[in-house]
Amino acid sequence: MKKVFCRLLPALFLAALPATVNAESSVDSTSILRIQHDSGAGVPGKTLAPLTQFLGVDLDKLGDGNLSAHLYGWGQVNLADRSPNLSSSDRFDGSLTYGYLQYRFKNANARVRAGRLFVNEGIINEQVDGVSAHTDLPYGFGVSSFGGATVHTVHVPDAGTDGKGDGIFGGRVNYRKSGLLEIGFSGVYETKAPTRNTLPFGVLPGSYGDHRVVGGDIWISPVSMLQLSGHTSYNAETEKLAEHSYLLQLTPVKDLVLSANFDEQHDRDYFYSSILFADMIKDLGQESRSFGGSASYAIVKNGEISADYKHYSRDIGKAERFGGELRGSFLDNSLRSGLSYHYLRAGSDFAISPIFSATGSFQEVRCYLMRDTKSYFAALDVIDYLFKKPVDNKNSAWEASGSLGYHLKPDLALSGDLSYGENPQYNNEFKGLIRLTYNMTSGKGATK
Amino acid sequence: MRPSNQILSLLTLVGLVALTACAQLRALPSLPASHPEELSAGPVSCAECHEDQQKGTMKAFAAFNHSQVFIKNHRFYAASDDALCSSCHKASFCTDCHSNRGALKPSLINGNRPDRMMPHRGDFLTLHKIEGKLDPASCYRCHGRANNERCVACHR
Repeated sequence: MKKVFCRLLPALFLAALPATVNAESSVDSTSILRIQHDSGAGVPGKTLAPLTQFLGVDLDKLGDGNLSAHLYGWGQVNLADRSPNLSSSDRFDGSLTYGYLQYRFKNANARVRAGRLFVNEGIINEQVDGVSAHTDLPYGFGVSSFGGATVHTVHVPDAGTDGKGDGIFGGRVNYRKSGLLEIGFSGVYETKAPTRNTLPFGVLPGSYGDHRVVGGDIWISPVSMLQLSGHTSYNAETEKLAEHSYLLQLTPVKDLVLSANFDEQHDRDYFYSSILFADMIKDLGQESRSFGGSASYAIVKNGEISADYKHYSRDIGKAERFGGELRGSFLDNSLRSGLSYHYLRAGSDFAISPIFSATGSFQEVRCYLMRDTKSYFAALDVIDYLFKKPVDNKNSAWEASGSLGYHLKPDLALSGDLSYGENPQYNNEFKGLIRLTYNMTSGKGATK
Repeated sequence: MRPSNQILSLLTLVGLVALTACAQLRALPSLPASHPEELSAGPVSCAECHEDQQKGTMKAFAAFNHSQVFIKNHRFYAASDDALCSSCHKASFCTDCHSNRGALKPSLINGNRPDRMMPHRGDFLTLHKIEGKLDPASCYRCHGRANNERCVACHR
C-alpha cells in the first residue's frame, strides 16, 4: 500500500502540472539553523547543528479554477556531526506532513481530496494516505467519508510496531438547522492492529487493540448568547464509552464570554489503539475526569482579560488549577503583550517522584511583549515555573527568550532567537537559532 | 411482475432519486475558497463585519469570534467547520502545531510569535511528568497515535 502511495502521490502532482498556467500560488519557507553543545559527566561532549527546512506550497485555481494542490513537509540535516559511524538515516531526517490535490465543486461545499491528508471530522482525527470527500446534502444534511492507508510512525521499541493497522476508512453524516443545531455521527475503522509476541512486564493484557471507534457530536445554540458543543465516542472493540467532551459558552453581553467544560475519559477505551499510551495504563478501569470554567472580557477593543478554573479527578487523586491572563494589542496591532499567572494545586500522587512528602503543585508566571513593524520585529518572552517543593534541588524552571528579526524584503525575513534558563534538567541552558522565512503569495487569496 | 422488471423499476427509482438529489445539490451554496478581503493580523472577530443572518445551514458568525475561549477550544469547531476555517487559514496554519511528526517544538519554530497560544513553552520536559499524570487525554489528542520519537525514547 505504501509503495503504491509513494508512486501515486508524485504522479498526481505531475498530472496537475499542465493545469498550473493560471494558478495562484503561495510558498511558505522557514529555514532554521540551531547550534547546541551537549555534554554530560563521563560522556564526550557533542556539538549538534541541525539545519531544518520547512516548506509549504499552495497552488490554487488550477485547471478550471476549482482544483488546488497543497504540500507541506520538512527535512533536517545535521551539519556538525561528522562521525564516520553515523548512518545517513541518522544524519538526515524528514517528513511529508501533507500533500494532496483538492477539487472544490461550485455547490454544496462539495470537495474531494487525494494524497496525504488530515481528516478531522466529528470524533475522527487521522492522517491518511488516501482519498476524502465531503458534500452538503438537501434539507440540512451532509456527508463525508475517507479511506486509504494509515501513515505509520516510529515503532515502539519493545513492540516492534507503531501499533496501527495498514488500512483505514470512515466518515461522518450530519444534520444542520441554520444557526440553531448541528448533530453528527462519525466512525472510523482501521484494519487489524499488529499483534505483539510478548507482553512487556507491567503491561496489562487487554489494554491495546484495534482502532474502531464511533461517536456523535453536537453543536446547539437555542439562543444566540448560548452555545453547547461537544462529542461522545464509543470504542466498538472494548464495547464501552471512551470519551465525553463538552463545552458550554455563554455570551451575556457582547464583550463577555463565559464558558464551562466537562471532559471524561475511560482510559483503557480511549487509549486502546495507541500502543504507547495503552502500555502506561495501570488499571483497566481507570478514569480521568475534569471540569471547569472561564470568563473572558474584552476590556478595550484590543485588550482581553480572562480568568479560569479547572478541577481534575483521577483514580490517583484530585487536583485543581486556576489563574488569569491579560492580553492586549496596541499601535494598530503592531505591539502585542500578555501576562498570565496560574497555580496548580496537586498532591503527592501527581508529583514527579510520588513519595509521601512530595507535591505536584507549582505556579506558572509568564509575560511576553512583541513588536512587529514593516522593517523589524522583536519579541521577549519570560516563563517561570515555581515549584512548591524543589524538583531535583531546583526551586523553579525558568526561561527567558528574545527574538530579533529584520524584513529584508516584504516577503523575506531574517531573525535570530536566544534563550537562557535554569531548570531541573540543566544548571544552565543556553540556546540559539537563526531563522530565514520566506512567505510569498501571488493572487488574491486572503488566507494566512 | 417479473423479477427483472422489479429490478429495472428499482434502478429507475434510484436513478430518479439520484438525479433529484444532484439537481438539489446545484441549488446549495458553497463557502468561498478564500476570504474575499484581506484580514488584519492577529485574532479576528467575525461578527465585527458579518451580520448574524445565516444563509443556508450556516452557523452564526458570532460563534466564530476568536476570543480566548474560542482559541483554546477550537477543536470543537475544526471538527465540523473546516471549510469555514480554510476560507481564512491555510492548512499549514494548523500544522504549525498539529503536524503528527514534527522536527522542532512549535513554540521554538515560532519563537518570534509569543502571542500565539503554542503548547510546551519553557521547560516542559520537567513539567510533562506532572501534566501527564494530571490529564493524559490532553497529551493523547496530539501524541496518542503519533508515537513521536521523543515520547518513545523514554516511554517504551
